[in-house]
Amino acid sequence: MKISFTVGIFSFIILLIVSCKPPVSDRINKEASKISISKLPENPLELTPLAVSLQPEAQTMATLYGNSTAAKRLKDGADYAAGSVLYLVTWKGKADPDWFGAKIPDRVITVERIFIGQNGKKNYAFFKGPAHNTGLEMKKDDRESAILSIPVAISP
Amino acid sequence: MKLKFKIVLCILALVLLAQLIRPEEISLAKTPQAKALTGVPQKIAKILETSCFDCHSDQTQWRWFDRLTPVNFLVASHIRDGRKSLDFSHWDSLATPQRNAMLYFALNGILSKEMPLSSYTALHPAAKLNPEDIDLLKTYLLNNAVSKPADVENAEKATEKQAVQGVKKSPNGIAYLPDYRNWKAISTTERFDNGTIRIIFGNPVAVEAIRTGKINPWPDGTIFAKTAWKQQKAKDGSVYAGQFVQVEFMIKNAKQYAHTKGWGWARWKGENLLPYGKTVKFDTECISCHRPERNNDYVFTTPLAINDLNRK
Ligand code: HEC
Ligand code: HEC
Repeated sequence: MKISFTVGIFSFIILLIVSCKPPVSDRINKEASKISISKLPENPLELTPLAVSLQPEAQTMATLYGNSTAAKRLKDGADYAAGSVLYLVTWKGKADPDWFGAKIPDRVITVERIFIGQNGKKNYAFFKGPAHNTGLEMKKDDRESAILSIPVAISP
Repeated sequence: MKLKFKIVLCILALVLLAQLIRPEEISLAKTPQAKALTGVPQKIAKILETSCFDCHSDQTQWRWFDRLTPVNFLVASHIRDGRKSLDFSHWDSLATPQRNAMLYFALNGILSKEMPLSSYTALHPAAKLNPEDIDLLKTYLLNNAVSKPADVENAEKATEKQAVQGVKKSPNGIAYLPDYRNWKAISTTERFDNGTIRIIFGNPVAVEAIRTGKINPWPDGTIFAKTAWKQQKAKDGSVYAGQFVQVEFMIKNAKQYAHTKGWGWARWKGENLLPYGKTVKFDTECISCHRPERNNDYVFTTPLAINDLNRK
């Protein structure tokens, strides 16, 4: 009698705890947000998006981010000034489960960073994402010029 | 016993009398001549005709039980609302991209399990779609209605640009928000159905809501801006954002926008940022396509965890 009462109360409390958990949405694209931030000087996802691109062969999609210095290019079209920080984050693309006709970011393949110092000196760094496969060879000089020449997405 | 009989008789009489009251649609209904969707294979057209045309075209086939009052009022309201959302009657006057957009819209209505209405398939079992039908539609669209990016025009060098001055308000009174390019990207999408590439921006309220995981419903003050650019192919095979197509906003205010599902909807098109929509209620089009997401506060995008997962 007493035991069953305790058990009853106990399960009731557990039920309360479980059901009172704040409703945290599962509609966050967590897989696409893992970018081993601890190795990076800043979180690229918090910077200003400057450009988007697709690589149809590799089935990847990428976003170019910049700090406020780099983001000036959106307004004046000028070259990236000294102090610019650029990130190119590349994802595998996946079918949008909610819209047949769209693709959205899946896991991160690579994160690339370019810092432009005084007198235009560039510093390139490369980071592997969770979906990186080792076969991918990145040549520093090629990547630098490729990233710097990505056309920014212009809006009126 | 006798009383019971009288009551039954009375009800019967009422039901019969009620048959005189009928929705306007039914008196207008002629036997429709079968008009197929031109330009699509017969198999595809057939699927849509069988399952959707009763409510989404002017070719409704009224069955005898559909004609009975009060069922006919229900059917008529389905047709009215259905044709407001999607209407195949004007197919012949549409250009190919619009036809394709319509087919993608239709297929997504089916995939979201909203369509055809289950109350309808219960009485019209032939309208039920089987997985083979759906695969047929998917394959057709993937093979025939995927927009290819334009080849690179001589990559014009970005120049100092003038902000567009005096952007007009949207027909529902919403004013243009010029600052969204300083917001964060909550996602990006490739749309192969219409050959665009998109950034979905979230304002600081949206980003904070993502951080705390409180995004269903999104808090008042949340704003999304979604920009679309034409896909443009470069020499190296990559695809970039080309010509600017449009920017769309969703502005959350549960009270102010209660009549439009808690969101203010607005869209500006082209380099000149012309407000989209002919009437105040143009936004029923937005809501009708976002409706399958009604359990997610009408939002499609699954946002990136911008500053949560990656916190140092
Ligand atoms: C019995 C009538 C009926 C049939 C049959 C029907 N629909 Fe609908 N449909 C409606 C109504 C009513 C709405 C409007 C819903 C609303 O606004 O509340 C609608 C809305 C839609 C929408 C807008 C988005 C949404 O989900 O609300 C799409 C897309 C759609 N229908 C596609 C289809 C397709 C494709 C078929 C055939 C496979 C189909 N419908 C069959 C009645 C019907
Ligand atoms: C034919 C379907 C359709 C119609 C009509 C439509 N949308 Fe959307 N909308 C989408 C889809 C699909 C997405 C998901 C992102 C993407 O890939 O484009 C979306 C996303 C959005 C977003 C980003 C937030 C979110 O929900 O993911 C905004 C803002 C938006 N739409 C505004 C509008 C406005 C304003 C209108 C009306 C003028 C409108 N939409 C009409 C399909 C539609």
